[in-house]
This record gives sequence, C-alpha cells and structure tokens, in this order.
Amino acid sequence: MKRFSIVLASVALVVAACTPTPGGTPASGTPAASEGPTRGGTLIFAMWQEPTTLAPPYLNQTIAGLVSQVAVEGLTRTDTDGKYQPLLAKSVPDINNGGVKLSADGKKMDVTYELLSGVTWSDGNPFTSADVKFTWENRMKDPKVVNRAGYDQIESIDTPNDTTAVMHFKSVYAPYPVLFPFLLAKHIAEKEADLSKSDYNQRPLGTGPFKFTEFVAGDHITAERNPNYRDKTKPYLDKIIFKSVPASEVAIAQLKAGEVQAMWNILESQTPDLEKESAIKLVITPSPSVERVELNTAANKDMTDPTSVHPVLGDVAMRKALVWATPKQQLVDKLLFGKAKPGASGYSQGWAKYTGPPQDGYDPKKANDELDKAGWVKGSDGIRSKGGVRASLTITSTTGNKTREQVEQVLSDEYKQIGVELKIQNQPSSVFLSGSWSAGDPRKRGTFDLNMYATSPDIDPHTHIFTRFHSSQIPSAANSGLGNNYTRLRSPDVDKAIDDGGATLDLEKRKAAYNTAVKGINDAYVIIWLYERASIDAFRTNVGGWQGNVWDNITWNSGDWYLKK
Amino acid sequence: MATLRSSRVLARGVALPASSYRERGQWRMAFERFLEHRLAVAGIVVLALLALLSAFAPLLSPYNPEKTNLLLIFESPSPSHPMGTDSLGRDLATRILYGGRVSLSVGVLAIAVAITLGTLIGGIAGFYGRWIDAVLMRVVDMMLSFPRLFLLILFGVFFKGMTLGVIVIVLGLLSWMPTSRLVRATFLSLKNRDFVEAARSIGARNRDIIARHILPNSLAPIIVAATLGVAGAIITESTLSFLGLGIQPPTPSWGNMLKDATSEMNQAPWTAIFPGLFIFLAVVSINFIGDGLRDALDPRHVTKRI
Amino acid sequence: MTTYVLRRLIQAVPLLLGITVVSFAILKAIPGGPMAAYEGNPNITDADIRRLEHALGLDQPVHIQYLSWLTAFLTGDWGYSYSSHRAVLTEIMERFPKTVYLMGTVYVVTLLVAIPIGILTAVRQYSWFDHIVTGTTFAFLSTPTFWLGLLLIIVFGLQLRLLPLGGMATLGTDFDILDRVRHLILPVATLSLVGIGRYVRFLRASMLETLTQDYLRTARAKGLGERIVVARHALKNASIPLVTVAALDLPELFVGALVTEQIFGWPGMGRLYWDAATRSDYPVIMGFLAVAASLIILANLAADVFYAYLDPRIRYA
Repeated sequence: MKRFSIVLASVALVVAACTPTPGGTPASGTPAASEGPTRGGTLIFAMWQEPTTLAPPYLNQTIAGLVSQVAVEGLTRTDTDGKYQPLLAKSVPDINNGGVKLSADGKKMDVTYELLSGVTWSDGNPFTSADVKFTWENRMKDPKVVNRAGYDQIESIDTPNDTTAVMHFKSVYAPYPVLFPFLLAKHIAEKEADLSKSDYNQRPLGTGPFKFTEFVAGDHITAERNPNYRDKTKPYLDKIIFKSVPASEVAIAQLKAGEVQAMWNILESQTPDLEKESAIKLVITPSPSVERVELNTAANKDMTDPTSVHPVLGDVAMRKALVWATPKQQLVDKLLFGKAKPGASGYSQGWAKYTGPPQDGYDPKKANDELDKAGWVKGSDGIRSKGGVRASLTITSTTGNKTREQVEQVLSDEYKQIGVELKIQNQPSSVFLSGSWSAGDPRKRGTFDLNMYATSPDIDPHTHIFTRFHSSQIPSAANSGLGNNYTRLRSPDVDKAIDDGGATLDLEKRKAAYNTAVKGINDAYVIIWLYERASIDAFRTNVGGWQGNVWDNITWNSGDWYLKK
Repeated sequence: MATLRSSRVLARGVALPASSYRERGQWRMAFERFLEHRLAVAGIVVLALLALLSAFAPLLSPYNPEKTNLLLIFESPSPSHPMGTDSLGRDLATRILYGGRVSLSVGVLAIAVAITLGTLIGGIAGFYGRWIDAVLMRVVDMMLSFPRLFLLILFGVFFKGMTLGVIVIVLGLLSWMPTSRLVRATFLSLKNRDFVEAARSIGARNRDIIARHILPNSLAPIIVAATLGVAGAIITESTLSFLGLGIQPPTPSWGNMLKDATSEMNQAPWTAIFPGLFIFLAVVSINFIGDGLRDALDPRHVTKRI
Repeated sequence: MTTYVLRRLIQAVPLLLGITVVSFAILKAIPGGPMAAYEGNPNITDADIRRLEHALGLDQPVHIQYLSWLTAFLTGDWGYSYSSHRAVLTEIMERFPKTVYLMGTVYVVTLLVAIPIGILTAVRQYSWFDHIVTGTTFAFLSTPTFWLGLLLIIVFGLQLRLLPLGGMATLGTDFDILDRVRHLILPVATLSLVGIGRYVRFLRASMLETLTQDYLRTARAKGLGERIVVARHALKNASIPLVTVAALDLPELFVGALVTEQIFGWPGMGRLYWDAATRSDYPVIMGFLAVAASLIILANLAADVFYAYLDPRIRYA
C-alpha cells in the first residue's frame, strides 16, 4: 500500500516536472521592438459562464454576444462615447447625410445602407446585401428568434445591387442604427430547414477577424485567425480560446498562475486581490447598467384594480424616507470597493444620459423627521405604524449573488434605524427574472414590496424607459402581463415626456424629453437608483491592444489584441 | 473467555423473560468499551463543547450576529474580535457560535427523521419479506433513483430558499434509503438465525421477536449509520450553501459562511479558516464517536486479538 | 435467480415511468421557467416571450406536454435543449464519456487503494498503522469535497505551481497523455481521498466483524495459513456490505460529481445537469433523469444479485 502511494507520488512529480510552464504561447519570430504589436500566439480567455448558442438570431446571453463578436459582425457598432460607427456599412445613414428619407407625411422612413465592397465571409464567399435581406427575413420567420423589436417595423428590404440595402420602415423607428448587430450568412443558413438545430449554432459564419473552429460544450470554444479578413494585417493573434471555468475563484487562480491571459466580468469584491498582482491589469469601464431598488406603489396582486395603492409604500413620505435612508456612497465604498458610482438615474451614459439633479442622498435624520411628520409612529419594537398598518416590508432579489445579499442586509439594518422592518426573501433568477406572467415572476405579478436587480438600457433608451415607466405598461391580468412597469408608476407628466421622446428623430429634442421623464420619475420617489456598475475585465500585462467600451463587450476590437514578447 | 462469550450468545438466543439485570449489564459493558476508545471520547468532549457553545451563544457574545457595520469590514483577529470580522463588519466568532446552532441542528434533526423512516421501512421489508419487501424496495429504488442534489435544488427553488425546517425534512426524506437497506439486510439475515427459530419455537410473537431479539441486534449498525449520517448531513448542508441553495443569509450557518469566504480567501483568510475548521471539528468528532460506538456495540470486535 | 432478475427488470419499467411523471410534475410545479434567461435583454417584449413559449410548447396544458415528451422519448427523440437548441441526446453523449473518464478513474483508484488498506487495518487492529490510517481517513472524510478541491487547487496549482488548475487538458496544444494525467490528478485526488476514507472505514468494520466469527476459528484450527483464512473466508463475507456501498456508488460513475466538476471546470454530466437545472431546461433535465434513474435501478439490481451470490443465506423467491 505504501509502496503504491510512493509510486503514485513520484509519478506525479515526474509528470509535473516534464511539462513546460503554462502561459500564453508567446509570439514567435520577431524579437520585440518595445512598441508595435507582434503577430502570433494564442490567448486563453476565461469565462465563468458559457454561451449555449452563438447563432445570431438566438443570442441572448451577454457572454454569447461577447464570444460571437470575434467572428460575426454587423452593419454598425457603438463606440465608447455612445456614437454609432460603421462596421460593414460604409457610413451610418442618418437624416443629414441623406441615408434616411422620411415619407411625405412624415410617418414612414427609408434607410439606405451602402455596404463595404470586396468583403468576404471566412469561407471565401462574397458578402452582399442579400445577406442583410436574408437576416431580416429570418428574423421575422423563425419562431425561435429571441426578439423582433424594430425588425417588425421593416416592411421590406430592397437590394438594387450587391452593396446597397434599402430598408422600408412602416413607422419612424428612431433606434434603427442598433438593428443588425450580427449578420447571417445566407448561403449557409438558407440551406438549413431549422437553423436552431444546425451546426450554425456552435460555429456561425462571420466576416470578422476570427472564425470559429471548435465548440466543445462545457469546455472551450476555439476561434482561429480568419485568412479572408478584409484587413490583411490583422488579427495579430493566431487563436483565441474561450475557456469555461465555472468557479470564479478558480478562474482567478488560473489568471494569477498565467494559465489564462484574460478574464471576463470580475466581481468588485475580487478587485482588491487582483490589484495587488503586478502581472495583471484590470480594465474598469463604466457601464450603462444600474442596480436599482423598485418600490411597488400598488397593493393589488395581478393589478385587478387599476387604482390600487400599496398600504405602506403608497405614502410618498414613506418612499422619500426609504430613499433618504439608503447609504449609497457607503455601499459603493465598502461593498463595491469604490468600483462603482452611486446611482443618480437609470440612464447614466450615452447621448440620452440624464444630466439633471441627481437623486437625493443619504440623510437618515431627514427620513426620520419625514416619517414623524407623516404620522408614522414608532412602536415598542421600534417599528413604525400608521392607521393600524405596520411598516413591515419585504425585499426580493436573486439568490446566490453575494453583493446583493450584502446590500439587502445593510438596507435591512439602515431601515430598522428609521423604524421600518425589512425582511429578505430572495428567489433564484430563473423565477425572479423569468419575465413571464404565467411563470409567476413576482415583478410581473406585483407580489413584492421592494425588489432589487440590475438592468441596462440600450444606447437608445426608448424601449427601456417606455416599458418600465409608462403607465400603459403596467402588467395586469387584463393585458396578460404585458409591460415592465413594475413600480406601477402612474404619472401623466412622465407619460407625456416619454411619448415626446419617441416621436421625433431629433436627438436633442429626444434627450430633453427623456431628461424630463427621468426627473419626473425621481420626483415620484418610486425607485432607488443604488449604483451604476462598472464592467470589470482583467488582462495579464503581456496582452496588449485591448480597450474598454462602455456600450460594447471587451471583445469589440479583438482584431487589435496581441501578445507581447 | 470462550465460555463467557458462548454464554452470552446462548442468553441472547433464548427467549427468557426480560431480565433487567442482564439488559443493563449488556449496555454498561458497551459503555465501558466505548470509554476505552480514546478518540471517541475526545470526540464526545469536542462535540459537547461545540454544542454547548452554540446553545449558549447569546450569553457568550455581546455582539449581534446579523448587525452590519460597514466601517469594520475584514478586521483581522484582535482582542475585541477574536476571530476577526467578515465582509459586512460582523463579528465572526459570534456568527460561528450562532451558526453552530443551525449547522448542528440540521445534522441531528435531518438524520433523526431519516433513521426513523429508514428503520421502519427497512425493518418491515426485511421481516415480512415477500411482496411487502418487493413493494417497499421498489419505493426505495424510486427514491434512490433521484439524484439527491437534483431534488434538493428543485426544492430549494420551490420553497424560495430553504429554511431550517425545510432542509431538515427534505434531507431526512432523501437520506433514509441507505438505512432502510441496512436494516432490511440485517433483518433478512437475522430472521433466519437459530435464536429466532428458538424464540419462535417457544411461541414468542412477532412483535416480541422483533423488539427483543432482532432490533437490539440490528441497533448497532443503525446507531453507527446514524452517527455517520449526522456528519454527512452537516457536510451536505455546507455543499448546498456553496451552491447557494442552503440556509439563506443573513442567518449564519457554517456552510454559508464558508461559501462567502471562498472568494475572500486572499484578503481575509480567517473568514474561511474558522468556518471550515469548525465544520471539520464537528464532523471529525462525530465520525470518531461513530467509530467508537461501532467498536463498543459489537462485542465480537473487542475480543478479537489474534 | 433468473426469474428474480427478470421480474425485477419488468418491475423497473413502471418504476421508471413513475419517476418520469413525478419529475415532470415537480418541474412544472416550480414557479419560474426557461424564459428567465431572456429577462436581462432590454429588447425583448412580452410578445417575444409569448412567441418563444409557444415555439417551445410551453403554453400547452401540462399533461399534453408530458405525453408529447414521453412519446417522443420512447421513439428515441429526446427533445432539444431550450438554451442551446441542440438535441438532448447529443448533449448527454458529449459529456458522458468525460464523466466516465473522470469517475471511472476515481472509482478504480479508490477501490485499489481502499481495499488493501482496509484489510490491513482490520488485521492489524490498534497497531500504529491502524492509528495513522484512522487519523488520515477521518480527516479526509470530514472535509466537504468542494473545500478540499479548492484547497488542493490553491496549494498545488497556485502556490506550488506543480499542477494545472482545472480543465481536462492544456488548451491550444495537441493531445498529450502526460498532460492529461496531470489534469486528472487533482480532481481524482479530491474525490478519491474522501471515497477512500469511506471505504476503508467500511471495510475495516465489516472485516473486524467477520474476523471474529466462529467458522474462522475452525479454519485456523484446521491449520490454514492466516492469509488464506483472511482472503478466502473473511473477505468474502466482509465484502457483502462493501458490495452494497460500491454498487450504490456506481451510478455516480455516469452522473458525475456535480460540485467537483464545477470547481475543476470538468465538462461532464454533473455540469450539464446544473446548467440545465438553473436554466429550467426541462428536456435536458428529463433526459438526464431518465439516464440516471435507469442506471441506479440497474445498479441496485446488480447489488442485490451480488448479495445472493455472496451470502448463500439470502434467498430470493
């Protein structure tokens, strides 16, 4: 027995000694000029969540988009300042350069895209406007497509020649530039009877700097240099391998050991540890995602009574007090290690960003005074009540999210100081975020007092702000749970401002309208903007060329990445 | 030696009227044998200590286990905080004490449920045999065919995060099967033994046979299995918490404290060391106790010195 | 015996059916659903969610959903994953060999190490060897698997840089057997150490029980060498409880150790199940269950058959 163990141990040591040290295979060839990207090498990118599918019509997870982007491109992209940039199109069409033409009655519009010429898919076939048209047709026909918002506003697409696509919209759809972020290869996709069951899901064809060669579920996805890429000097890397590492502690260990050279979506609590490592650089990019606490102003589950008012949260004094009792800066400093900003509004980035006065700050004394004034009397247990109603609330968020759990505990403590009892009742994200009336998502059903989660608007905020704050978007039994107005806000002023924002193509007018709407939302005290998160990724210092982008994934410029010697 | 042993066998096998002296003697001898097992005794001491500390937690600690203090996060161990503070500024030692209540009771209660169920079902199956056995064993098969974690996860979702009571019941319901197989096997092999035949031949009723002959002889594996089961239940609770499905914060349990700590290990190792240490201590103690019990309760063990 | 086995196999069919019904019922009873995955997407409207629910057949009444699943399943169509849209059978078949590769190694290593040690500790009860083994096995037994795995990764992978920190092989390089072995060491160690502990304790206990039996005294009195006494007589009887435990562990060979696979990033069945469960991917969950349940039923049958073979006192009608 002992002999066996000794043998085992020695085999292990021998084996360990025989293998070269792990690390991104360094670039071969050119001795390093200290500047300038070197060509070659394999970069291993750790992801703690893995994409289930990469095919454009079914993309839903952030990580799926991130991985797809190294190979599949679209007509336009958004740069870090929130401006649209052309990618496969020659320029971004708008009303000033004639790319967008309104109809005579101003109710419809045509958008013309001039495409780059000479572009080929990674298999050598030419990229043409037929691919654009096919992408749209597939969107509308395929029942498994994830969303059709915007595409359903296109009546038809003409392709007068290989490099021109004219889209005829049946309405004035302002967010048109964000459509077509990923294009389908017609010559491959049209051959499949059911795209969702084909290999296209694992290795979609693209025009980008890399092409997918391997998809081993649960293990890794390999993307190799696309020899047919239109820029012959790029990409610098030979390969990017996306490695699936489900336990983020292990991924961090791998990053430190050099087994992987990059990692996606680092938690704020992991940053102090990584900042101490000289071989690792953190990329901290502000993001449009805002963590918020929504206050349910209605009492009725299922909203059977459209005028229903929450017994505790219906009182605006209570809502004000809750806002004033939230220590946002402390949360940011202590729980997020300073890697976020206290929330001022839900729309913090981009051309439509809110520039008005931020939401009120932390002032527990003011909160206590307000509640005293409003007639909420503290009981013997320290909890207030008014008119027989006890100030006891529950907060619901997702299980398994440590930062959220910590925030809830802090809030529970803080609210107790002002005489409000807060009980924590979390649910797994498959329930709480299911977004489905039939599946019982509490936000839809109204079976919550406070909820907490994060969401981010698109670069064009209209859909987001409309579905979340317009009074027509309150989910109820009557409309089968349509809409995301979870706070059940019913404000005619906010409604008008939102409608104004969606009715014109003038960006300045829209920005002003949205700003008015957000001010109205803040003044109604129906939502607490907790903090604006940053997206944090990490690279080892021997990787160069990456750049953060507020509106896009870190892989947006994967063609520029290189490994230093 | 030989005569003593065989006389014990004889005494056990014949259905003499219950003699209280003999009963006491048997268990007392087991007790004395147990005391010879030093590790088991150490285990009892440690476990008793842990249990007492947890039970008297409010008296022992001035801190509130759930009160957060963002100004004091990740304090390393000091006189005012002997085990340091965690990521929300709470005193770790206090949380360990209160957490002990949760973790230890989950273990004990869940197994109590499991053992009761398992003994009942396994005993009935083993004793009566034939179609009862077949049906019950199919039930066992069905329960065993569900991957345990699968059901635990689903129940976690169904009950919106599990409270102590729910975990105890669910764990108990999912853990009785091995006991039932054990008991059934013991009953199956014992019911055909000579001493049972002897008892039957003098007209003893089934009830008496089970209670007086079979059950006492099958107690040993049940007790041992129960003890080890408690250890296993404590570990299962910590694994569930690692997956985010166990006892939900802010209520501390050693398991969920360990889970939070795994990502903080480099910054604040004490947040991981102490919960892990306590789980380890509790489980090791229980295992030693189980081992001691096994040695003590089977008289045939100790006399073996060839 | 053959009639017994046949009868058990026939009984297995309604058992499996019952299991699928119960599982399906539990899945449907739970609030939530596969649509949760789409929530974070700001562009999705309710119309989209309803359309997707219809495309996946989720708006049908529950019993219709079950029946359509069952009929498809019996004809070999195990359905398609809600998240990856790939065939469930493909998903399972992809992970299956990797799990067997890992768990098989664990199983073999555990038994190879535990059986000799277990026998030795029983034969040399209370010796120093026994004490050391007792101490170490208890230590490993008392550690949660995930804890042990994480510690091993940090010590051997990060601090000492001796072994890789997870995965099946070094990515980006060609197949290399030595590389594969290096990647196996830590996960196998994590699972085996705990398993060895269990088996050693078990074997020691049952060996001790048999070693004192009268018939062994007879064998020794006959002048048979101790080794034969132990090997032929004691071991055969002591192995009965061992066989139960070993057989009950067999299904894990295929179902995988969920937590270990998570930590070591092993692309096996355990991971598949966890991803499916958290995403409410019903077809994958049902397919996985069908496989797991069948294997467990077969394993139990095997254990019972072995029982009868090893212990002639047990007779099955």
